[in-house]
Order: sequence, then structure tokens, then C-alpha cells
Amino acid sequence: MRDAAVELRGVTRLFGPSPALVRVDLSIERGEAVVLRGPNGAGKSTLLRIVATALSPTYGGGSVLGFDLATQREEIRRRCELLTHRTRLYEELTARENLDLFARLLGIPNARVAEALERVALADAADERVRTFSAGMRQKVAVARAIVRDPEILLLDEPTTGLDDAARHVVERMILDAGAEGRTLVIATHHAIAPELGARVVTMRDGAVEANA
Amino acid sequence: MTLVGQASVIARRDLVIEVRGRHALGTLLPFAATVLISFGFAFGPGRDVLDRVAPGLLWMAVLFSAVIASRRAYQVESEDGALEGLLLAPIDKAAVFLGKAAAVTLELLALVLAVLVLVVLLFDLSVESPLLMVSAFVLGVVGLAAVGSLFGVVAESARTREAIFPMLVLPLVAPVLIAGVRATDLAANGPASEVWSWLGLLAAFDVVFLSVGVLVFGYLLED
Repeated sequence: MRDAAVELRGVTRLFGPSPALVRVDLSIERGEAVVLRGPNGAGKSTLLRIVATALSPTYGGGSVLGFDLATQREEIRRRCELLTHRTRLYEELTARENLDLFARLLGIPNARVAEALERVALADAADERVRTFSAGMRQKVAVARAIVRDPEILLLDEPTTGLDDAARHVVERMILDAGAEGRTLVIATHHAIAPELGARVVTMRDGAVEANA
Repeated sequence: MTLVGQASVIARRDLVIEVRGRHALGTLLPFAATVLISFGFAFGPGRDVLDRVAPGLLWMAVLFSAVIASRRAYQVESEDGALEGLLLAPIDKAAVFLGKAAAVTLELLALVLAVLVLVVLLFDLSVESPLLMVSAFVLGVVGLAAVGSLFGVVAESARTREAIFPMLVLPLVAPVLIAGVRATDLAANGPASEVWSWLGLLAAFDVVFLSVGVLVFGYLLED
């Protein structure tokens, strides 16, 4: 039997004395799309960051694609991409240079950078510095970076917040494409998600899973 | 890609950002020049005094500039959460440390060159052994960049990072300051044969902090 995409067992995360996640158990199958819902402070972002290995659980543990969250972080990072409203771009570099940087570091062929920029409709602005970009254009570059990395699991934290219609459309298109390609998707959002994605909804409140259907 | 290859990609990126942001030329050089000129005024016009203190002034300017350059190297990472991007990239995290240290080293060496010209002009510093002086600066600057790049990531997680960073770095680089000033003084005024022990101390400092950085940087970068 293949390992689940994500398997969390009793995950608790404290920030100082305050719990952000409390004994969360969650299983996500490969190729499944899951939408995390819940009010601000429910623990959605913390959960995504733990799956991405940006944070460690204080208690509990789990695995991603069969790799242990505590001991096989680099294997997980090779296969996951976390997309948030913070785009992690370098303002003094152009859109193309930002993507080239990661492509070179990860040994990804350069042709994929040009292809990704085409897909997010940024080919014309590819050689402009990111500091001149709007929030929507920056998020498009971040989406292009995710396309370049070609991850098995895509983790999206409020990916369309603050975007104009054009940028939101690019992000939604990428989500639908990723779903159609059989990638595992975990999306934390307050916005509606296209029903054709067939996503399972997990509702969180006060750091715990309230409903899982 | 090898560790050195990844480090050179990161170093190149940092240098491109610095050149485009004109930080080194726009901030570091005027800062270093101001430090030197201010100390020059403070010590008065006596040539003999200025001759004696010139190596120390030079290194003080380089030291303070190293603190600023190292902080700046991490500021560009924190602007839009980019440091997390490097954490989550499946690369050898030691490459981030080495790349940042290499970029800061090159920036500081360019600064040293400019500051040396200034000191020679302002304080009439004569140099008996230029090669030994260059060696002292190269070794000293590598040490400063290694400590700055290592503790830059430690300070990055603190809210009061601007205050904490110099407090962490300045006591640790005291050996570089002492050895650098002594080596520069001996290279300028002789006897040159005594420079070697100070260069050895600077080289040992570099080896220790580059090794520690390669070994622990990944742990410091993690949550």
C-alpha cells in the first residue's frame, strides 16, 4: 500500500505558552484536494507550515509522502511547495532572475522558467524588477516558481487574498490544473473553491479539527 | 549541484542585489569615511599621533562596516519572507552561510580598498610590506564576514535584532580586531617578520568560524 500524502498524529504546536494546534490528527490521500476552513487563528496556517516543514510540531508527529516530519525534512521539501501571501521574492531581482535562482539551485532546466512565466502571463514583464510589481504580479511570480518546482504536494495559504481578478484567475487556474494533474492540494482559504476540484473540507477552530467531511 | 556551486549562486545573487540597491557604495563607504574623518578630527592634526592610530582607525571603520553589511545581507531575506524560501528549498543550508559570507567578504574588500586610499591620503600611512597588509585584510575580512553571516541568522529571529546583532558579533570579533590592527601596524611600520604570528591567528579564526558555520548554520536556520 502506498503511503498517504499527509499523515499527522496528535500534532500540537505551541508558540510560547499559547497553543496554535492541539492534538491534530489528519490524513490526506495522494492526489486528494483538501480545503482548510475556519476563522482567523484557527491553526490553518500553522498546520500548513508544519506539513511544509517550516515549523516543527511541539508534540506529536507524522509523515509526508512516507517521509518522517522530524527526521526526513529535506526529502519532504524536495516534494512540497508552500505558497502564501508572502511571496518570498527578492525585490531587486527581476521576475526571471527570481525563478532562475531557484531553478539553478535545484538543478531545474532553464526552459521551465520561461514556460512558467508564459503560463502565468508574465512573459512580457519577466525582465522587470519585482519591486515595481503589484501584489497580484508578485503572486503570479510565486505561482510561476511553484510551477517551476513541479511539486507533488501544493500547500496554499490564503493564496488569493488581496489579489485583483486577473491574478486571482491565474492562481485558481493553477489550482485546477494541479488538481487535474493528480497533485495533492491542501488549501487554507476563506474564499470559495471551484466545485470541480472535488475538495474535502476540513474545518478548524481553536487549533483543533472541528469537522472533517 | 555541489555545495560550492550552490554557495556561488547565493553569493552572486547577494552581490547583484547589493550592486542594484547601491547599498555598499551608498551607505558603507560614506559611513566608513565619516568614521575615519571624525576620528581624525578627534585626534587632532599631530602627524605622529595619526600615524600611530591609523591602523586602529582603519580596522574600526572596517569592523563597523562589517556589522552593517552583515545585517543588510539578512534584511533582504526578511523583506518578504525570503529566508523561509531558502529554508524550504532542498539545498545544503551550509551553502547559504558560505554564499552570504563570500558576498559580504567581497563587499568589504572593495570597501577596504577605498578606505585604505583614504587613510593613506588623510593620515599619510606608509606601507613597508603591502602584500602582508593585503593578507591581513583578506584574512580579517573573511573572519568578520563568517561571524556576521553566522550570527545574522541568529539575530534574524529576534524582535530586537538591530540591537542584538552588534552585541552578539562585536565581542566575538575582538581577536580579529586585535590581530588585524597589530598585523597592519607591523606591515606598515615593520618589523615585517613579526606579522606572521598575527596572520596565523587571523587564519585560525577564519578556519574555526567557517567550520562552525558550515556545521551549525542549518540548525540555526530551522525552527
